[in-house]
Amino acid sequence: MSTHDLIVIGAGPAGMATASKAADLGLTVAVLDEQPRAGGQVYRDVDRVAALRGDILGADYTQGATLTAGLHHQAIEHVPGATVWAIEDGFRVSYTRAGRGAQIAADRILLATGALERPMPLPGWTLPGVMTAGAGQILLKQSGVLAKSAALVGCGPLLYLIAAQMVRAGTPPVAMIETQTRSDLIEAARHVGGALRGWPYMLKGLKMLAEITRAKVPRYPGATEIRIEGTDTAEAVSFVHRGRAHRIACRTVFLHHGVVPNTQAARSLGVSHRWHAGQSCFAPRLDVWGQSDVTGVFIAGDGAGIGGAKAAELAGRLAALKVAEESGRLSTDERDRQAAPLRSAHARELAARPFLDRAYPPFAGALAPEDATVICRCEEVTAGDIRGHARLGCLGPNQAKAFSRAGMGPCQGRYCGLTVTSLLAAANGTSHDETGYYRIRPPLKPVTLGELATLEHSAPDTAE
Amino acid sequence: METEYAIIGGGVVGLSVAWGLLKRGLTVTVLDGDDGSFRASRGNFGLVWVQSKGMNQPRYARWSQQSAAIWAEFAEELGHNTGQPVPLEQKGGYDLHFSEATLEATVAKYNDLKTKLDGDYPFEVLGHNALRKEEPQIGPKVVGAILHHQDGHANPLKLLKSLAADVRRMGGRVLTGKTVTDVTKPDGFRLACADGTTVGAGKVVLSAGLGAAALGPKLAFRAPVRPQRGQVLITEKLPKLINRPSLIARQVDEGGIQIGATNEEVGTDDRVTQPGLSGLAAEAIAAYPALARAQLVRSWGALRVLSPDGLPIYQESAEFPGAYLVTCHSGITLAAAHARLLPDWLEATKAAPDLEVFSETRFAVS
Repeated sequence: MSTHDLIVIGAGPAGMATASKAADLGLTVAVLDEQPRAGGQVYRDVDRVAALRGDILGADYTQGATLTAGLHHQAIEHVPGATVWAIEDGFRVSYTRAGRGAQIAADRILLATGALERPMPLPGWTLPGVMTAGAGQILLKQSGVLAKSAALVGCGPLLYLIAAQMVRAGTPPVAMIETQTRSDLIEAARHVGGALRGWPYMLKGLKMLAEITRAKVPRYPGATEIRIEGTDTAEAVSFVHRGRAHRIACRTVFLHHGVVPNTQAARSLGVSHRWHAGQSCFAPRLDVWGQSDVTGVFIAGDGAGIGGAKAAELAGRLAALKVAEESGRLSTDERDRQAAPLRSAHARELAARPFLDRAYPPFAGALAPEDATVICRCEEVTAGDIRGHARLGCLGPNQAKAFSRAGMGPCQGRYCGLTVTSLLAAANGTSHDETGYYRIRPPLKPVTLGELATLEHSAPDTAE
Repeated sequence: METEYAIIGGGVVGLSVAWGLLKRGLTVTVLDGDDGSFRASRGNFGLVWVQSKGMNQPRYARWSQQSAAIWAEFAEELGHNTGQPVPLEQKGGYDLHFSEATLEATVAKYNDLKTKLDGDYPFEVLGHNALRKEEPQIGPKVVGAILHHQDGHANPLKLLKSLAADVRRMGGRVLTGKTVTDVTKPDGFRLACADGTTVGAGKVVLSAGLGAAALGPKLAFRAPVRPQRGQVLITEKLPKLINRPSLIARQVDEGGIQIGATNEEVGTDDRVTQPGLSGLAAEAIAAYPALARAQLVRSWGALRVLSPDGLPIYQESAEFPGAYLVTCHSGITLAAAHARLLPDWLEATKAAPDLEVFSETRFAVS
C-alpha cells in the first residue's frame, strides 16, 4: 500500500534537506511535520518571521529560508500540522491533521525528529515562571514576546544565543547563572584542535559572549546549589558562586543545559540505541548513511546525536543518496561520488562538537537531583521515589514506571526518561546501557479516541 | 537449605504466594526477571472479576468468588503494612451488550451456572433505560447489561508495588535480574540461573508466567501455557464518567479511562497495532460516546498466560514432589486466594482448598 518512495518525519534542517535531495534524485517524498510551517526548531517559522525579526534572530536563522524553499518541489508532498502518533512496520504512518486521522505508507522512512532540551530538574523548577530557554526562544521567534526580568540558568551555546538575542531586543537578562566550571574549560581545551577546525562556531560563540559582556549582564560561571525560590511563582534564583551565597530576584527563569536527541519515534520502531557518554544521552546506532539496525529506517539530524543544523542538513543529504541508490535511482559509484564532499563537510561541522560537549557539560546537580526534587512533571514523581523503587527491585525504567507512574503522562516520558535511567543506574550500580530506557509505544503524541476510531480497524473480541 | 521455598517469578502471582508463605513464618526466596521480561503483572486490565468465569467449570467460578470475597481484607492488610493503599472498588461490574440476542444468550448461560452454584451468583439484567440511570454516559447502541454484584476492579500496579514492598518487609529475599535456566533435585531442589547464581530450596513454586512453558518440563510439568496478546488503551485523566467497570472500559482511580482488550494469537509479539487500537477506540465510543473527545495518552500490548481451557493450573509434580506449578490468566482476581488460601495447599494442611479440577492432568492425551 505504499503511497510514496520515502516518508520524512520532521521538517527541520535534516528533514528538509533529505526531502529536497531525494526529490531531486527522482523519488516521491512525503514530509510530515507537526508545525504549521516548515523550519523545525532552529528555523522555526522562518518564512514568515525572517522579515519581521530577522535582525534580532540573526543571519544563521534567516538562512533557513533556502531550505524551506527546497520543499517546493512537485515530487514532495509537504504535510504541515501533522501530528504523527504511530509508525509501524511497513512503514505505515498514522497521523492526525486538523482533527482527522490519516495514514501514508512507504518502504523507507527517515526520522528527522530533532532534539529536545535536556530537562533540568532543580528545586523549584516546576514553579510557574520557569521554562526552558528553548520555550523562551519559541515565544520570541513566533510571537516576538520577550521576558522582562529573566534570569538564565545553565550552560551551553543556546543559552548564550538567547542571551544575545535578548540583548539585541533591548531586554537583557538580569543574570546568567552558569553551571560550567573552569575545569570544564581546561578539560575542553584538549579538544581545541578539533574546535579550530570548526572555527566558525568558535568565532560565533565569542561574538555572542562579547555582546553579552558589553551589555553588562552579570555572569556567574561555576554556580552550584542552584534553587529557584518562590511560593506561587518564581521570585528568585539562589545559588553559590565562588563560595558565596547569592540570591537574584527575577520573575522569569530560563533553564537550559544542552539538548538531547528525541529518540521516541526511533525507539517505537525498535531501533537500538547506545549511551553516548560524551553527550550524556542515548543515540541510535546508525551506519555511515544514517541507516539504523531496523531495515528501511534512516535517522538524520540531532535525533541521531547532537550535531547542529548544518550537520543535520548534510546528514540528510547523505541519507537521501543511500535511499536513492537502494531504490535504483543512483549507482553506488555515483552515490559515493556525490557523498564524498558531503562527508568531509559533515566532519568539519562536527569538529567543534567534542569541545562544546566538554566545555558545557550538563549540570551535575540536575543529572542526580536531590530526593525531594520532582523529576516527572506529568505525574509529580520525585528523584527520591525513583531511588526507593530501585530498592524495591526495579532494575530498569519500565519497572520503575509501573511503580511510580513516571513516564505515564502526556509527554510520554520525553522529559523524565534520561533522568529516570540515570537515577536507576546510579542506585543499582549498573551502566546506562544495562539499565535501558522506556519501551516507547504509540501514541507518540496524544490523539483523541475519535480520531483513532475513524481509521480502519479490526473488531475487538471482548471475551475475557 | 538456604530457603524453604524458592518462587520462580516475581509477578503478582509469585509475590502473592510468597506473601502468604512469609506470613506463615516460612522462608522464601523469589527469583525475578529483568526490566524487559514479559510481565502480565504490569500490563493487565485490573479487574477483580467473577462473571463469565468458569461457565463450563463451576469450581473456577467458585474459586474466583472465594478470592473476590477476601480481596478487600487482603488489600487492606497490604495497605496497612506498607503505608501504600491498594485501591479497590467492589460495587459490581457490567457485561455490556450491543444486541438483544447476545444479552439473552449470556443470561441463559449465567442462569445455568447460578443453578450449579446453588444460587450464589448475584446478577441482574439491566435494560438500556435502567442502565442509563446507573451510567448516564452510556450510548444508545448499548441495549443492556448484566450487572454482577461480585465484580469490581483494583489498581493492579499498586498491588504489585505493595506486594514487592511487603514481601521484602517480611524478610522475603528477592533476587532480581535472574533467569532460571535449570532446576534439579539431587537432594533438595537446586535452581541455576543464567548469571551463575544458584539457590537451594526445600520446595519450588513455578509461577513464571509464560516462562513456565520452557522451565516446566525440567520439573516434569507439561505446563501447556501460551501467550495471547491483549492491547489496552488509557486516556488522559478525566472527571467521573464511568461508575462501574466492564470488560470494555473502566475508570481507574487516577482518573484515566482504561479500554481493553484485544484477544490475538500472535505469539510473543507484544506490540500494539493501529487497527487494534482503532477497533478498541470505536467500541469504547459506542459504549460511552463522550469518549470520542478524550485524548489517548498510552497504549500497550501485554501477553495473557493461557492454558488450553483458559483455567488456572495448580499441580504438584508427580516426579519431583515439592515442586508446584501455579499459573493462571487472572492473577489480579486470584491474588487474594493465592496469598491466603494457596499456602494451605502448598503446605498440605487440613485447610487446603480442593484444587483437583485444576490439575494439569486434565490436558493429558487420552
